[in-house]
Amino acid sequence: MSNINNQKQIAISVQGATHYYKVYNEDGTVGKAIGIEGIDLDIYQGSFVALVGHNGCGKSTLAKHLNGILLPAMGKVEVFGLDTANKANIFEIRKQVGMVFQNPDNQMVASIVEEDVAFGPENLGIPQKEIVERVHKALEQVGMLEFAKRTPHKLSGGQKQRIAIAGALAIQPQVLVLDESTAMLDPQGRKEVLEVAHQLNKQGMTVVLITHFMEEVLDCDHVFVMSGGHIVDQGTPMQIFANSKLLDEVGLKAPRTVELAQKLKNAGFDVDDTTTDAKILGGAVCQNLQ
Amino acid sequence: MFRDVTFGQYYPKNSFVHNMDARIKLVLCLLFMVGIFFVQSYVGFALVTVFLMVVILASKVPLKSILKSVKGIVVLLILTAMLNIFFTKSGNVLVSWWIFTITDEGLIYASKMLLRLVYLVIGSSVLTLTTTPVDLTHAIERLLAPLKVIKFPVHDLALIMSLTLSFIPSLIDETDRIIRAQKARGADFDTGNLFQRAKAFVPILIPLLVGGFRRAEELANAMNSRCYEGATNRTQMRVMKLSWRDLVASLVCIIVFGGIIVVYAMKATWQPILPWMYF
Repeated sequence: MSNINNQKQIAISVQGATHYYKVYNEDGTVGKAIGIEGIDLDIYQGSFVALVGHNGCGKSTLAKHLNGILLPAMGKVEVFGLDTANKANIFEIRKQVGMVFQNPDNQMVASIVEEDVAFGPENLGIPQKEIVERVHKALEQVGMLEFAKRTPHKLSGGQKQRIAIAGALAIQPQVLVLDESTAMLDPQGRKEVLEVAHQLNKQGMTVVLITHFMEEVLDCDHVFVMSGGHIVDQGTPMQIFANSKLLDEVGLKAPRTVELAQKLKNAGFDVDDTTTDAKILGGAVCQNLQ
Repeated sequence: MFRDVTFGQYYPKNSFVHNMDARIKLVLCLLFMVGIFFVQSYVGFALVTVFLMVVILASKVPLKSILKSVKGIVVLLILTAMLNIFFTKSGNVLVSWWIFTITDEGLIYASKMLLRLVYLVIGSSVLTLTTTPVDLTHAIERLLAPLKVIKFPVHDLALIMSLTLSFIPSLIDETDRIIRAQKARGADFDTGNLFQRAKAFVPILIPLLVGGFRRAEELANAMNSRCYEGATNRTQMRVMKLSWRDLVASLVCIIVFGGIIVVYAMKATWQPILPWMYF
């Protein structure tokens, strides 16, 4: 949990952003489907924000607006005051907002780890010596330094995704967007990636985590719940979990620990239903039983 | 099914040849390939044989791995030899049967052609055995750099090669997965005639192709997100440095192949006095 309250500078501001996708109907006509519609949100600098929702709720579409890969048809997106719709800003925006995608295999540009990480700084035209330093630092930050000379293909999903994060870090962004970066990973890999994300957040990085795993939002500062291209709820993780009726409607579920705590409370146990720690919960149950 | 396919044939070792600059290796390999066609005589081939042996020893790659590449062109070698033997009509006839005649000149010509082809393959496989595909890509990019002047897209070409290299393993994995998925649904790839088998591969190719487009889009997004804007203002992390090894190797190659070309060019004046050089 970082300092969201005492540092109120807005990193990314989305104002009424709307995006439609073209749909090619079977009868040959072209229709449109809502990607996102009228999205308003502010992401504060240094915060750890989660965007959750079921498949097809528009969370990835929204993520792609955050660094100008997609542009809103209506409304606007500003990154540190720079409008993504202005082509002249795009380069600067992408320097500020690093993005890591879902499939680690599809974002590797080189067959050697350090060369892949160097891709970003090379694009920025940074002198060779500084690239080496940046690559070293980025790999160190994600704990993959010993793999610098290896080929990414032979590594685990979690390791590959950490390399992808290093690739984004080497550009030295202010914001890191993880666009379902944990979706294809096993539990171990997900843990690795989340640990790195939280570590970076502690060092001051603004992190936007897009996911459909509710366990992952536990330690976030602020959660946005999306459904059908709209933001249907937002608040701290506990506020979100408490509204189980809405979560049900959008096809999500509170993490098991939270669910269990809520059930125990309903059954008359005196437990804190805002805890997410299984041990605290177990302790509380024991005390109740004694 | 595709597990054992190795792309590239890099043989990791720490040797004189491995540690040479990839650019120099590539240029010298080209020099070798051109030079070998100027070799006229068995004396010349003996010299090239010694040269190749020294190179192979210096590369520390076992002879077996190198000869493996020769095995791949055996059919081509036999075909070339037969064509050369049967279609050379000059010289003294040794055997004559039906429409086939074998002359002594035909045999000599065929044997020299065989040697050339074998040495050509050995020379180039020394390059690929001692240089990683990544290094080769970098070398090609640097060597072609002057072509930027005439607007040749050197950087794009190198990027395409590098992307291809990094995508081969995951494409192999995906093909493997699709084959297993189709087999699980009862697809049969192992029986039937050639045509039926080829047809059985359509259900593999289509998902592979569709997946390829999806990959391409994701990759494009990932590259854009990392500030990719084409070749403009790009720098490179990798430095390629020349060392004493490159100097030594270049000198040796220039002396050997320079000599061969001089001998070839001076044939008219030298043959009467030094006939052994042209045997």
